[in-house]
Amino acid sequence: MNFKGTILLADDEPHIRKFVGLILKGLGAAAILEAGDGEEAVAVFLREKPGLVLLDVNMPVVDGLGALKKIKEIDPDCVVVMLTSLANRETVESALALGASNYIRKDTPKEEIAKALTETIDACFEA
Amino acid sequence: MISTVESSPESFRPPMDQPTASPFASLMGRRILVVDDDRLNLRILGSILKGEGYTLAEASSGEEAIDTYARFHPDLVLLDVMMPGIDGFETCRRLKKAHAGTCAPVIFITAKNESDDVVEGLGAGGVDYLPKPFNGKEVLARIRSHLQNRILSEELKRLVEQLSNANAAKNRFLGMAAHDLRNPLASIRGLSEFLRDGAVGPLDAAQVDIVNTIRDASQSMLDLVNELLDVATIEAGELKLRLEPHPLADLIAKSVALTNMDAARKKTRVIIDSSGASPTLPIDVAKMRQVIDNLLSNAVKYSPPGATITAVIHLDAARGTCGFSVRDQGPGIPEGERDKLFKDFGRLSARPTAGEESTGLGLAICRKIVEAHNGSISVENLPSGGSEFRVTLPFNA
Repeated sequence: MNFKGTILLADDEPHIRKFVGLILKGLGAAAILEAGDGEEAVAVFLREKPGLVLLDVNMPVVDGLGALKKIKEIDPDCVVVMLTSLANRETVESALALGASNYIRKDTPKEEIAKALTETIDACFEA
Repeated sequence: MISTVESSPESFRPPMDQPTASPFASLMGRRILVVDDDRLNLRILGSILKGEGYTLAEASSGEEAIDTYARFHPDLVLLDVMMPGIDGFETCRRLKKAHAGTCAPVIFITAKNESDDVVEGLGAGGVDYLPKPFNGKEVLARIRSHLQNRILSEELKRLVEQLSNANAAKNRFLGMAAHDLRNPLASIRGLSEFLRDGAVGPLDAAQVDIVNTIRDASQSMLDLVNELLDVATIEAGELKLRLEPHPLADLIAKSVALTNMDAARKKTRVIIDSSGASPTLPIDVAKMRQVIDNLLSNAVKYSPPGATITAVIHLDAARGTCGFSVRDQGPGIPEGERDKLFKDFGRLSARPTAGEESTGLGLAICRKIVEAHNGSISVENLPSGGSEFRVTLPFNA
């Protein structure tokens, strides 16, 4: 994985944060920040300015699309990747239209998630 | 001890207002519209019917009958054939048209037992006829039986509606429950794989065994939940296909490669026999892939270790069909169980040969996906043993 900076991982399910966090560490992630809802994600983003954000679509308080919109307003160049389970086509399309780089199915085997993350991230960051 | 009186199991008694008796124990008060231009006939029928406690309305012409029907909402109509203005047959046709699906049964009143009249009347939508002069007992018996039919069919309609509402609610519940179970199960599977693979330090053999058990159990639960979700989606009518032209051989090659990884554990091999045919046709790639994956994994599951599974691609340009078959070396499908095979939870007596799990939903889902593609799925036992599952899809070269 070409990205070496701080990553923000936002998902309301702690086990998903743990699972995806382990995958990111396996890919060589240096620092991972966590948030449990969209509002917290935006707050952490403002404070820590991570270069890469992974956003769950279905989150309480502010959902993934809401957080994506805010983050893109604050920093249009920030790379945001959406996390979904059963991908709802409309949601995915709105996320891409709002500037998300890609979406990743978090309910697939860890090798598939790792591969999709690496491909998406390496497409956004040069080696 | 007083408390025992208060807590007597009142709730175990059927409520008093429950309709425990037959739904037509009493036909009292049922509404009958009598239509005849002859006042005397109206009077005779009126006295026969009122004696039974029916509620009556009268009309002396077809036009008046149509008006009265809309206000009175009868359960049954007695309709004279010969009347000035529109005749009984035409009146009946208009009533049937205006109240399609809900129109009360119409019994014609005929002057003579003329078979032409009877035939035309039944053709116009009548259910029966009463010949004049009236025989009171016959009139009442015929009316009673048609009212009972009417009540039964209303009851049936209500029950069907209740059941389909309950089924839709069940599917919504199933969908929600399955949806919320998927993420935690995927995490349990993934996290146990991290443990197994030594991501947080080495495990001894006994620990690996436990972790593998957790991993395999979460995997089969995930499969079950996915299949339940598929069934709920399909039953809710939300199976939407995204058709795009795709070479069938490519889809099968990918699925065979994946299946072979699992099959290797049983020393089972999957081979492709394409016989040169490589049709490209509009399919929903992900859903058709699911069908192929399912048929191949079933073939591995039910064939003995070391078996060879064959995936065959076929093309019949003359008939405008193409598709694929999966030939296994399993026990074959018992004749009596063939009907069950493609139904929900239609598990058969055959068991997987290496302790694999089966939900009994896979083939039902396959059938629904194939049928949504306007295709068909069938199974034959092979003379050489084993069975062949065949998917046939429409193909326009």
